[in-house]
Amino acid sequence: MTNDALFDVTESGHSKVPIVNARGEIDVSTSPELHDVLAGVISRRPELVIVNLSEVTFIDSTGLGVLVGTARDLRAKGGELRLVATQPHIIKLLELTGLDEMFDVLPDTKAAVTR
Amino acid sequence: MSTMSVPGSVGTDHLNRRVEISIPADAQMLFLARMTGAAVATRADLPYDQVEDLRLAIDELCIGLLSSSRGAGQIALLFQWDDGGTLDVVGTSVPAGDPSRSGHRPQEPRHVLSFELSRRILDALVDEHGADDMGGVHRAWLRVRRRDYSA
Repeated sequence: MTNDALFDVTESGHSKVPIVNARGEIDVSTSPELHDVLAGVISRRPELVIVNLSEVTFIDSTGLGVLVGTARDLRAKGGELRLVATQPHIIKLLELTGLDEMFDVLPDTKAAVTR
Repeated sequence: MSTMSVPGSVGTDHLNRRVEISIPADAQMLFLARMTGAAVATRADLPYDQVEDLRLAIDELCIGLLSSSRGAGQIALLFQWDDGGTLDVVGTSVPAGDPSRSGHRPQEPRHVLSFELSRRILDALVDEHGADDMGGVHRAWLRVRRRDYSA
């Protein structure tokens, strides 16, 4: 089993509100892939980016670091990053690191887009 | 971060409460440490939430060891637990070459941010944790005590 099998990231939505859908485990070996995808997305200067973590089963400090770094870069360009998270342990992790105060965390992509 | 000394024992020397693994110091191998940690935590009869917490805590422990190993050598992990619900994990990065040439790489801002997040995670999830460097060998440890959710 390699980590390629443990992680996948795709993009959906549209140019103004791209949605980055991550699945599986975001750790030190897979967070660079998430970083690269998000860097490509924010280079197009969207106003809003949604990162959908609803199918993420594990995320560590390197994955959270990617999200925080991306949010900062996006804010510097006048944009905003919102998260979709439904897994209790992912929400708990956002809370215990204080990142729930940095990000809007929504229960689904529709809510994240329309909020 | 706690200043506890490296745990040598949690009060038992029973070999059936001691697990050792060694994995390549390769980011793609950390899932093995997480899996082993979860299995050991289950064997130590920690509640489900703590098993999940320990899985993440061991990952964070190993990230620090990986950073010091420069992606070469081995990461050795020792798990020990007792009947009282205390579980210790001691990790050591064993460099492939000259230990004196190992150590943390200069960190990019993104890595510094992750380091701070890692510290916050360990502070929140485990009862004690710490790390040190001796002769180029990086060591990190943590201790968890079984939580009683019935209270």
